[in-house]
Amino acid sequence: MKNDSPREEIAERSYVVVTTVEEAVARARELRGDYQYVAGGTDLEVHRRQELVAEHHVIDLTAIKELHAISIDGEELSIGALVTLDEIISDVVVRERVPLLATAARSVATPVIRKSATVGGNLLVKNRCTFYDQSGSWRSSIGSCLRDNGDICQVVGTDAGCYSRNVSDMAAAFIALGATIVVRDQKGEKRYDLTALYSGDGIRNHNLLENDGIILRVQVPIKPVASWYRKLRLRESLDFTSCTVAAAVDERNYIRVCINGVSMAPVLIEGDLAELSLEELHRRARRSCQTVDNDLLPLKYRREMIHIYLEEWWGSIHVDA
Amino acid sequence: MHRDFREETERKVEPAVTEAVKKRSMMEVEMIVNGVSRRLLVDPFESLLYTLRERLNLTGTKEGCDQGTCGACTVLLDDVPVLSCLTPVARCSSRRVTTIEGLAENGELHPVQKHMVETGGIQCGFCTPGMVMTAVAFLREKPRPDEREIREAISGNLCRCTGYAKIVEAISRAAEEMQS
Ligand SMILES: Cc1cc2nc3c(=O)[nH]c(=O)nc-3n(C[C@H](O)[C@H](O)[C@H](O)COP(=O)(O)OP(=O)(O)OC[C@H]3O[C@@H](n4cnc5c(N)ncnc54)[C@H](O)[C@@H]3O)c2cc1C
Ligand code: SF4
Ligand code: FES
Ligand code: FES
Repeated sequence: MKNDSPREEIAERSYVVVTTVEEAVARARELRGDYQYVAGGTDLEVHRRQELVAEHHVIDLTAIKELHAISIDGEELSIGALVTLDEIISDVVVRERVPLLATAARSVATPVIRKSATVGGNLLVKNRCTFYDQSGSWRSSIGSCLRDNGDICQVVGTDAGCYSRNVSDMAAAFIALGATIVVRDQKGEKRYDLTALYSGDGIRNHNLLENDGIILRVQVPIKPVASWYRKLRLRESLDFTSCTVAAAVDERNYIRVCINGVSMAPVLIEGDLAELSLEELHRRARRSCQTVDNDLLPLKYRREMIHIYLEEWWGSIHVDA
Repeated sequence: MHRDFREETERKVEPAVTEAVKKRSMMEVEMIVNGVSRRLLVDPFESLLYTLRERLNLTGTKEGCDQGTCGACTVLLDDVPVLSCLTPVARCSSRRVTTIEGLAENGELHPVQKHMVETGGIQCGFCTPGMVMTAVAFLREKPRPDEREIREAISGNLCRCTGYAKIVEAISRAAEEMQS
């Protein structure tokens, strides 16, 4: 593949496979926003088929070797953004030290998809909504919605905002474990709490990447935690989540519960076990989850399942104690 | 043995792309498909599935959903199973692609193909190429699978006809044969 064109010679549309992070960021600068990075492509390419990708250029990150590694870095496990979900499932260190990640990865998509799907791509999977994730002709038949340059949200019937759901299962697990991400952009490299990535905006789902940012790796504290994971979906074999709950309690009895698939961003509930009650968990979940009727499963059922999962998890840690 | 469509493809592609090439929006990809080196001009955003079916006439690979949800388009890329509908052909340069047409050796079907035929794991046959490619890659990784593992391995390959029992049996028998 030839991709050595200077700025003035960039084709109308292009697909370039880069081999270093520097090259990716330099190419991104040249393209001035009119591009998408791609990793496994299992989310981006679906959107392309649905005519939801407007950008004219693609920067393929998969040949950047340094982003494929899993390593222990002091007290943390460092997982390169291009590590596939299949590699997460089969990695011995992950399975022994942070089994929650392997469980979550195993619940994503299908075995074949997981061989291409990456950790970075999963954290950045676009929010879902039954009225948006459809073909162009399907969407135009009902009139487009706010996220698709229309005037109203088809779910709630107002122009107040978009309620598309964040569906990243890995985000739920990583957030429960207190993970951070390292981002490289035009200004350099910086580390953030993973929760800062999620904007809570149904249309622009992610923060931190405005400056041609690339997620380089995810850092997860390695410490003993009791973890728990549940995912609700229509077909066990391949559907996106309708509600995912990932929870972790550390040795100091500090809990982190992340609920995803039911709101515009992952919802984190955290605190000292001694200071929390099941009622308090339910109350915080009710307050934070903005769940609307935009999934295959009915709204009432999904709302109930959030609380059933919380109750199940709470019961499990109290039995263990 | 499948026909070598290389010459036809090159004739077919060239006039159609002249305009696009002038605008520099086509790109060159060279890959090895079923052991044969192919040099092609492709659209930067076309899928491997499109290239295989429409440019190389390798129509054994099926297009079911074109969105990653049926598995009918599964092929091997450097021996790893991928959904060709979601794989940009632009990333396949210098890589090996194996499709259902490339599985048989010296006129002998692969054991998975053979047992799919003999067990009755094929009804309409639409899911079969994808199912077979997934199973072939799976058995390389896990030569002695149990039934649950086989079911999980093919959980992304939808079949609307068979109810899966015969397919699972075929894969299981193929595994046995490959062990003996
Ligand atoms: C049938 C089917 C079922 C699925 N089920 C699930 C599911 O159950 N749960 C789930 O979470 N997902 C699911 N997915 C979505 C998807 O497969 C996964 O989320 C996958 O992990 C995405 O990773 P990817 O590498 O393929 O992402 P890509 O498609 O390559 O990228 C996704 C987005 O992230 C950006 N990006 C990727 N890597 C980087 C990086 N390092 N830095 C900056 N930007 C980057 C891309 O620009 C793109 O916008 C499913 C998809 C399909 C087709
Ligand atoms: S929640 Fe409303 S605005 Fe958002 S994608 Fe769905 S229909 Fe569109
Ligand atoms: S056509 Fe590729 S998964 Fe259905
Ligand atoms: S045999 Fe018809 S879809 Fe499987």
